Amino acid sequence: MATKTDVDEAFDGYVEGSLGAIDPRRAVLGTAGIAGFLALWWAVSLTQPAFVLPSPAAVGETFYAEAASGEMATAIGQSVRHWIPGAAIGTGLGVAAGVGLAWSSLADDVSAPIVRTLRPVPPLALIGFAIAWFGINHAGAAFIIAVGAFWINFYAAYGGVEGVSEDLLDVARSLGIEGDFELLRSVVVPAASPEILTGIRTGIGRCWMLVVASEIFGVPGIGRRILRASNNLQVDVVIAYILVLSLLFLLVDVSFRAVQRRLLAWR
Amino acid sequence: MTAHGTHVRVADIAKHYEGTEGPIRALEDVSFGVSEGEFVCLVGPSGCGKTTLFRIIAGLESATAGDVFLNDERVDSPTPDMGVVFQEYHLFPWRTVRGNVAFGLEKSDVAGEKRGERVDRLIELVGLEGFGDSYPKELSGGMKQRVAIARALAVDPDLLLMDEPFGAVDAQTREMLQTELLDIWRETKKTVLFVTHDVEEAVKLADRIVVMAKEPGRVREVVDVDMSRPRVRSDAEFGRYYERVLGLIRGERAV
Repeated sequence: MATKTDVDEAFDGYVEGSLGAIDPRRAVLGTAGIAGFLALWWAVSLTQPAFVLPSPAAVGETFYAEAASGEMATAIGQSVRHWIPGAAIGTGLGVAAGVGLAWSSLADDVSAPIVRTLRPVPPLALIGFAIAWFGINHAGAAFIIAVGAFWINFYAAYGGVEGVSEDLLDVARSLGIEGDFELLRSVVVPAASPEILTGIRTGIGRCWMLVVASEIFGVPGIGRRILRASNNLQVDVVIAYILVLSLLFLLVDVSFRAVQRRLLAWR
Repeated sequence: MTAHGTHVRVADIAKHYEGTEGPIRALEDVSFGVSEGEFVCLVGPSGCGKTTLFRIIAGLESATAGDVFLNDERVDSPTPDMGVVFQEYHLFPWRTVRGNVAFGLEKSDVAGEKRGERVDRLIELVGLEGFGDSYPKELSGGMKQRVAIARALAVDPDLLLMDEPFGAVDAQTREMLQTELLDIWRETKKTVLFVTHDVEEAVKLADRIVVMAKEPGRVREVVDVDMSRPRVRSDAEFGRYYERVLGLIRGERAV
């Protein structure tokens, strides 16, 4: 049945360690780690010009200025407008395709060559299609994000469904459950839900990374802001928005983790 | 007690596999019957095809030849007319005890309220009052198997088909579950077909024991256990049945 992957374990430890029952020893060490990192950063920044490495204080000031001017909120708002539909559509289609192909050996055999051809294509290579099919807009950026989310969810769901015990299906059949749809609904999807949820969680994180990539071709948002600042050598702005991405990721990840924990209380 | 029942009829079942060293005859000419309300144990040495036969009777596997009939209807796929209980429980881990027991009722036309009552009654029948909202991971092996029995009984099957159901629990729990199963059997008047490799268990439980032999898996003899219950293993009569069945199984090994 549900086997936890190493990655999953690592995630568990990470979130539980940092936000579950807070272990005072780890909290102190973590704080010390951050302080040490900032001190090192600050020391190095003294020897470098600001366009190579600004000091932590300078980044803090920029962060505050961007937040106060409303620029930051605007950029977040823009990114969210393609992050949400991209993540939602990619996740939905990925889970559906993964469950469907793992369940139906016919569909699996038919689609295997196509899947193997498309799988290695990096979402960024599809920018041309994004522009041609959707244009330089949120829909185009959402497409890039959706492609990234799709594959993670596809393989997670596929693996989860493959691992569903044949015995549980036998029990369900002996209790009068008939037909693919009923078996999927009452046994396969719930049994594969730990893997599916891990896939969704990993995919959501990956979508944040793809936000930057998806804005390369001109769609506004956090990524665009980072790219523009890079071109102007405003490294403080770049770092400030990287922090924004990290914080958004953390916020969403922690929230999803709470949902996941609740849904998998039976485990 | 009837000698040869017609409620369940296993007729000339054969199962052949293609093994790495030629064909394997897992089952050959297996025939016996079970009467309504009867408790029959299927016992035999490991490798005699008990579990394969169990799966064929349950409709989970197809036979190379022969048929299984339940109430004169041919069984070729799993049916809710049979409640199946496996050694490894196979509970749905994402469902509570109540959810597991209710599983088979959700597709049926039993109305919501009646369904809840029925589920509660079954939970009580197997002695799990107060555990309705527990998840399987919180239960001991014996408790899990009680849930599996209640779940199988929920759809009101004509036959309770069990494959070494107490094989994975400790000895004390096993004895308790055996006694409880007999109580449930008396109370529900279900027909029970119970697969085991444990001769003592078979003598303790069964009205009749179908003793199997191996290579190929076949029925060696059917033993009527004409002894009142509760049966105590220290009884001389218990011992005689025990030796006889064991002899039938051992005799096979010497050949």
